[in-house]
Amino acid sequence: MTDAHDQREPTQPAARLTRRDLMVMAGAVAGSVASTGPAWAQATPRRGGLLKVSANANPSSLDPATGGAGSDHTFLWTIFDTLVEWDYDTLKTRPGLAAFNFPDPRTMVLDLKPGISFHDGSPLDAAAVKFNLDRGRQDARSNIKADLSSVAEVLVSGPLQVTIKLLRPDTALPAILSDRAGMMVSPKAVQALGAEHDRKPVGAGPWKFVSWSANEKVVVTRADNYWRKDRGFVDGIEFSIIPELATGLRAVVAGQNDFAYQVPPRLIPIIDKAKNLQKVSGPTLYCLQLYYNLAKPGLNNLKVRQAINYALDRDAFVKASLAGVGEPAYMNLPKSHWAYDETLAKLYPHNPDMARKLLAEAGFKDGLELSVGSYTDQDSVRRSEIVMEQLRKVGIRLKFITGTIPEISGQFFGNEKKFDMLLSAWTGRPDPSMTYSLMYSKDAYFNAGRVEVSKELTDLLAESRAAERIEGRKLIFWRLQRIVMEQALVAPLAFQYELVAASQKVGGYKPNLLGKPKYEFITLKG
Amino acid sequence: MRVSTRLRVIRRRLLQALPVLVLATFVVFGLLKLMPGDIAITLAGENATEQRIHEIRELYGLNRPFLVQYGSWLVNAFQGDLSKSLATGEPVAASIARAFPNTLLIVVLAMGVALGLGIPLGLLAASRPDGLRDRVVTSVASLGIAVPNFWLAMILVAWLALDLGWFPATGAVPLKDSIPQSLHHAILPALALAAGGVAEVSRQLRSSLVEILSSPPVRTLRAKGLGAGTILWKHGLKNAGVNLLTVATLLFNRLLAATVVVEAVFAISGMGNLIVNAALTRDLPVVQGVVFVMVLVVITVNLAADLLYTVLDPRIP
Repeated sequence: MTDAHDQREPTQPAARLTRRDLMVMAGAVAGSVASTGPAWAQATPRRGGLLKVSANANPSSLDPATGGAGSDHTFLWTIFDTLVEWDYDTLKTRPGLAAFNFPDPRTMVLDLKPGISFHDGSPLDAAAVKFNLDRGRQDARSNIKADLSSVAEVLVSGPLQVTIKLLRPDTALPAILSDRAGMMVSPKAVQALGAEHDRKPVGAGPWKFVSWSANEKVVVTRADNYWRKDRGFVDGIEFSIIPELATGLRAVVAGQNDFAYQVPPRLIPIIDKAKNLQKVSGPTLYCLQLYYNLAKPGLNNLKVRQAINYALDRDAFVKASLAGVGEPAYMNLPKSHWAYDETLAKLYPHNPDMARKLLAEAGFKDGLELSVGSYTDQDSVRRSEIVMEQLRKVGIRLKFITGTIPEISGQFFGNEKKFDMLLSAWTGRPDPSMTYSLMYSKDAYFNAGRVEVSKELTDLLAESRAAERIEGRKLIFWRLQRIVMEQALVAPLAFQYELVAASQKVGGYKPNLLGKPKYEFITLKG
Repeated sequence: MRVSTRLRVIRRRLLQALPVLVLATFVVFGLLKLMPGDIAITLAGENATEQRIHEIRELYGLNRPFLVQYGSWLVNAFQGDLSKSLATGEPVAASIARAFPNTLLIVVLAMGVALGLGIPLGLLAASRPDGLRDRVVTSVASLGIAVPNFWLAMILVAWLALDLGWFPATGAVPLKDSIPQSLHHAILPALALAAGGVAEVSRQLRSSLVEILSSPPVRTLRAKGLGAGTILWKHGLKNAGVNLLTVATLLFNRLLAATVVVEAVFAISGMGNLIVNAALTRDLPVVQGVVFVMVLVVITVNLAADLLYTVLDPRIP
């Protein structure tokens, strides 16, 4: 989804961070986990303490199947464990609640770890997994039906074994099961509470739910029956919902809270001045970009779309808009992603002359005017100004129409089909096939023009979910990404890095590529 | 004033309130429907499809005709059911029950500050019109009106909360949890909110008093040898009471609305934040519920003021 669901505030040049700074920062608070934890973790973590977090959005629901906002995950991961997990740095999948394998392309087998129970004491067994997956596929309130559309049938093949029969090969399924669809809720709780489970969730994660006051607080406390001893160190987490990011940071500076995430880089001077805070940063999939409506006159011309890509000075954009806390985007995946294609990054160097030449060839020798939807927050306005100036230099005059995120994104992607382009963000998905099919397949909601680009792209989207080995998938994504960028279906601008401000007593935190904080390894000094 | 007269006032006001309630909620409902944006898209989630968005509209009745949606809401509201938030599923009444005390506390404290400082300043200024004290009070009042409350709020946070650490920078504590903590959290927002009010009260009171003190009856009292203090306190302030009550009522209603900005700066989960968040996501039941309650509050405050008018000045019918 666009940042309609991930309302981080964007930026203005303030303090700049070098790559070295970022690496130092990322390492600075990495602490603390026993042998089964990630490589960056240390031994003998301290248990205890209440972690107070400035959260920038109210959850849409605390039931993973019925919620919809990208900002929900940071709450959900405290209450729910997932069937599959991913590596923090690359998003490569690995076993979570279950080990998984594909005995044949249309069958996925999940082998659950023994002895796991939900917070209400009911067992997390094969029947519970089947209940969850069937609920995700069939419940009228489920928002994850599309994620599980490849599933034909879920079978209980043993007390702790589930066999998933597929309609078509789908090797993206492990990544899908590392997201909402893989968060296991207690069937007993859902059956007892019905829709109320949205507000009183029961999972099998490190912490159990205590309370949720909408737009005010979410509180979770340690689950004593949690199955893993190498994570979930703090006794509880209290999320204060503070949508205004500068205010959320102020709560950390004042010592009322311990942790603020998705801090806009323009606030770095405030963190530095505070002295009692530490910064943590790392790459994410959060891609600022210009979405095209490919059905609109002008943008239905390949040369115009390419001209825009040549006209953008991405390095300057990262410096001016993100204070250097990001990286230039040349495709929809950042450098650290396993499917990143280095050669593609050279496709559109900043070349205003080439942009002008392409515009002239497209019949726009005197330039052209395009309308762009954007948002009213301070950082979006600044980004708009930068893009407007960069494109003006090659003769493309942009007319920005601004409004709230739901309003503008609805007008662009919905039935109204307003604006030629949208300056927004793609928040990323655990598997790249989700990103590409959600934005570029013919009837995808985020393909504003509902245009079929080519049969080859459609075929590759299907192939990307059929290939079994990651190396094979990587090659398919390289071909897919090349089509997307050669056809200039989008103008990526920059990946905004995660920026966390934490009090000095916080240890063990490491950002992940999804850019949504997990608290499982955090420790608090006494 | 006789009891029957008061009852008549109350009945008349309540009858007037009904169309105001309906009109206000209808206009807000209509405006929200006219605004671009669709909560079904938000509710459909990150991986929204056209089909899912359509299903959501069906599920929540968002594709029913406008008047049917409004009528259904209105009937339920008058039966005490303000429905549930579309965005969070929380009953709207519960959200309001939690948010309203936070807002009310700030407004009441701000009113206390506005009246507590504004009345003495007004008296001071009126005691010698155009004198030095009057000019100082006028200058301070102009400053109070000119300073935007969000700016003052941020200055107060930076100075008293972040630099000196005397007050919390954000949040609110419900009165039922801890009265001292609750007041401690509410003081800075109330101060930020009260600045304009202090100025308004002092200026209005000064004008009223100057007019009253230069009127023929007061001149007569002065000629009869009554002291300046007695004239000011016994005759001046009493006669300025009706005017002061009008100012205070208007101020209270205005402060209720002004909390929107202050609540954002201090991250207070009050009525302002509730309605802003709901409006941004097009969460109609929450917006309607807040409007409904706020209209009721304003009507009640106005009614109380009407009754007080008749106490202060028996000539008022």
